[in-house]
Amino acid sequence: MADFREQLDALRATERRVAMATLVGARGGSPRPLGAKLFVGEGGGGRLVGSVSIGGCVDARVVEHGDRLLRAGRAERVTVKVDDAEALELGLACGAEFDLLIEPVSLDGTDPAVAAYESAVDLSRSGREAWVVTTLGADGTPTRRVHADRHEASAGGTEFFVERFAPADALVIVGASDVGAALARLARALGMRVIVVDGRERYATRERFASADELLVGMPAELARPYYRDGTSVVLVSHDYKYELPILREALRAPVRFVGMLAGRKRGDAVRALLKEDGLSDAEVARLHSPIGLDIGGREPEEIALSIAAQLVAVREGKPLARRAQEGGR
Amino acid sequence: MSLPYGATVLEHFRHPRNQRPLDQPTAAHEGYNPLCGDRVRLEVRVEAGAIRAAAFTANACAICTASASLLTERVTGALVADVLALRESEVVAALDTEVPPARTACAVLPLRALRAALVGHSAPA
Repeated sequence: MADFREQLDALRATERRVAMATLVGARGGSPRPLGAKLFVGEGGGGRLVGSVSIGGCVDARVVEHGDRLLRAGRAERVTVKVDDAEALELGLACGAEFDLLIEPVSLDGTDPAVAAYESAVDLSRSGREAWVVTTLGADGTPTRRVHADRHEASAGGTEFFVERFAPADALVIVGASDVGAALARLARALGMRVIVVDGRERYATRERFASADELLVGMPAELARPYYRDGTSVVLVSHDYKYELPILREALRAPVRFVGMLAGRKRGDAVRALLKEDGLSDAEVARLHSPIGLDIGGREPEEIALSIAAQLVAVREGKPLARRAQEGGR
Repeated sequence: MSLPYGATVLEHFRHPRNQRPLDQPTAAHEGYNPLCGDRVRLEVRVEAGAIRAAAFTANACAICTASASLLTERVTGALVADVLALRESEVVAALDTEVPPARTACAVLPLRALRAALVGHSAPA
């Protein structure tokens, strides 16, 4: 899940100008959140980056509009209705409607829309929230303002669109194992900020963790501590009590979103017993997710990482399957 | 929790002495075992050629943690010269258990970290 800057960086290698389509409204359900973007390269065959739906007819129609508006050199708010006659006849149309703001933007560093979004992304990467407020002029031309304080995020006129750029959720992976490496790749693709900590230089290498945002070698409990905040998940895949106990003593008392540990039921119970002996309350110990991961049955590192990543998404979304039965598993 | 290393190791692993950051240390060193990942930081406050306070921080196994705990108890109040003369076999013996050869590195890691911390402190201040 690349952010705005990463998407544009991917396009700049080949494109000078793109149509930027932003999902600004939806009726009848939308698989993507408002603010989702699809970039359409120039020339009728230009590259496509991002999406405003889950593919299919909606994105295809947005691409057509993008080609048209690139040629016309102007912005337009368009509505795409999923009312294809054939699909309706087959009972396959969902009947949804999507509003999109589609505008040509240049990638040469001078475009104010690009500058606004990049500024917001930079704020979010620095750990702050940012809001981009888009208003449409009488001629349909959008203008944008970036706010770092939501109380200042306002707009004139009767219609405006507000996009929030929050810092990415942090995932602290304790243990530079193969499972940790696979999880780092998956979590980064899911838009998380990935921090890997380990005490062993030989394992925690850039070669093994190319996608990690931070790769930290030292005393794991000390390295992880600064990241304990709301929205952070802590996943222990070291399978070694020397790191697990010091980390868990702090993380289970910290205001983090999720703490999980790769372990079988018996080992997980033993760790819980030690933590209670150390003075952690029943409620604090109960925050520990172990076994970790949704029970999809895989045993390879990538499969285990997939099950953990799926659980992290379920926890973020508050889904009931977020807590796994405390039996069996890894 | 049962450990195969006896009561002393278990006691000092579960209830380590002097496991905390030291206030105003005059010397410190973090030792680590690149194979198993044990990490232990020894901190001392040296005054007039003697160790007035010693403490440690560890993300380490039971043997290493217990060894650090025992070591900080032993060296508090001792002359730096005497501490530097400590033999590794003495530290291992203090664990009061049979330490397998493969785990000797864990047992002596705190002493080696302490020696490294004390470089430059061997003469009375």
